[in-house]
Amino acid sequence: MRGLRVALPGGTLFDSACGLLDAAGIARLDPGRFDRELSISHGDDVFVKVRPTDVPVYVEMGGCDCGIVGKDVLWESSRECYELADLGFGRCRLVLAAPRDSALASGVWPQSLRVATKYPVSARRFFAARSLNVVVIRLHGSVELAPLTGLADCVLDITATGRTLAANNLVEIAEAGTSTARLIANHAALKTRNDQVGAIAVALRRMAAARTTVGAA
Amino acid sequence: MTGLDALPPGASVRGRADGFTDYLVGPAARRRMLTDRFIETFEAWGYGFMVTPLIEPLDTIAAGVGGVQQSALFRFMDSDGALLALVGERTVSVARVVATQLHDGPFPIRLCYAGSVLRNQALNAGRRRESLQAGCELVGASGLAADAECIALAAAALERGGVEHIQVDVGHADFIPGLLDSAGLEPAAREEVLAALARRDLVAVESALEGTDAADAERRLLLAFPTLRGGREILDMAAGGLRGARPHRALQELAQLWDLLDAHAITDRVHLDLGAVRDWDYYTGPTFEVFSVDSGFALGSGGRYDTLLSRFGATLPATGFVLHVDRCHDSMVRRAGAQTTPVVLRVSWDGDAHAGALELTRGLRHKGVACTCDLDSGGDGDVRVSAAGARWSHLGRDEQGSVDAAVAALVPHAS
Repeated sequence: MRGLRVALPGGTLFDSACGLLDAAGIARLDPGRFDRELSISHGDDVFVKVRPTDVPVYVEMGGCDCGIVGKDVLWESSRECYELADLGFGRCRLVLAAPRDSALASGVWPQSLRVATKYPVSARRFFAARSLNVVVIRLHGSVELAPLTGLADCVLDITATGRTLAANNLVEIAEAGTSTARLIANHAALKTRNDQVGAIAVALRRMAAARTTVGAA
Repeated sequence: MTGLDALPPGASVRGRADGFTDYLVGPAARRRMLTDRFIETFEAWGYGFMVTPLIEPLDTIAAGVGGVQQSALFRFMDSDGALLALVGERTVSVARVVATQLHDGPFPIRLCYAGSVLRNQALNAGRRRESLQAGCELVGASGLAADAECIALAAAALERGGVEHIQVDVGHADFIPGLLDSAGLEPAAREEVLAALARRDLVAVESALEGTDAADAERRLLLAFPTLRGGREILDMAAGGLRGARPHRALQELAQLWDLLDAHAITDRVHLDLGAVRDWDYYTGPTFEVFSVDSGFALGSGGRYDTLLSRFGATLPATGFVLHVDRCHDSMVRRAGAQTTPVVLRVSWDGDAHAGALELTRGLRHKGVACTCDLDSGGDGDVRVSAAGARWSHLGRDEQGSVDAAVAALVPHAS
């Protein structure tokens, strides 16, 4: 039987994902090597670097047996994968933010609201419980510009430190969720390669838990 | 201008709708043969072939399947305003037929079917929106022998179809709900855990359990969820420390089922999977899924659904399964590559040999050998028989009757 195929998310989680795989004794991958190669073999296993939003696609369709991806990507994805473990790193929050001088910032919810976001599915779910007339405007980047230019009244976006929001004169109104990196697995791979997928899940969980404990101490 | 630029905006590209497939000559034939092998196996086990409509009233479908599956149906309006849908699966249709037309028995009734099912998937998701399913339903038998028969039949049909290296995972739909009951969870927490399990989100299962006072044995099992797999020995392992009668009953049923599967001589391909996540509104007893390492999706699935027929007015226990023909075909292609298509011989002729050539084709077809006869004369005055590629046999006029020689030369495996 072939080894595992593992999808890794390019972008902000990438170095930490490689670091955790190394620390957990699964694979020592030089992140820099992925600049030249998209796929790296380690023993029988193959690691591929793909866009974060593509990780659930590779895993659901069986292109990869498992993958590492942020929970924020899973919120938006309709792909059916098993979510096996919270890996603890890549912590960030999905927040609703509005210009500092807006009515919304002073706690007044208007009857209608234009929300710019890279997270339209999460936005719909977040506002579903509130009786507001919400127009969701899907953007692909730099959503902070939307209120500045009058495109939208507020943004629903990911923030780790709050610095980008503050720099664009935005204040947090409400939190929609907290995201961390997750280990996900293909349905059939979890059954037909249970030993292999189980081993990687156990090793990553143990290392993630150890790091959380150290971090808390 | 070339390529995309050459198309005016909004120009219609006369193609297929996304998620639908044309099956050309080779794959279409293999797909049909695979279906035929499945149905032949079902019939050999005494399951009568039946056909249900491609369209059902939405009310009928809604009696059987939950909201998530309903929202994935292609729906449209009948001329009287009633809502119709293209079927997303066919078990509900068979249940409707049995409950309304075959309710007087004699039971058990064994039925099988094959047909398209449709799901309105997101565009460009790479998922099929039309797929071919072949399935069996065994209605009116409540015992585990019926469940064992369905599992063994599913495995037999896949093997008869040439699907190699299959693995059957057998679970029980009442084990996890029973576990949650005996864990003494509040109803809200119980629903939260079930919903997280249904989403296959084990991180949420863990955090939902954290805030509760679930008993240790049950918590341990729920957290060990994906690893609750193995042979008969895992049943004893799981039973230790469990208090409630419900999970124990599920484990006992699985133990009996294992012995029955052993009698069917298929336990070398079976795993017990206590963490199997299935539709808890639908399944009521043993459930199973069939996998192969060549497919990221289950090739088949089934289980006991004792409450479905009562929604159509007949209180009858039932169990059954479905095989996903397209996924099976994908998995075979992935393993073996595109298999060769059956040989079709070509008979060519010249001059006055047309009648002789036609006589030869009649002889070949009578032998079950596929062949074509050239519509126009050609060649060098003889009747020739050739197969795809370079191989051909030259038959002199005095040998025209020698069908056997032609077959032996060109279709070695036919004689």
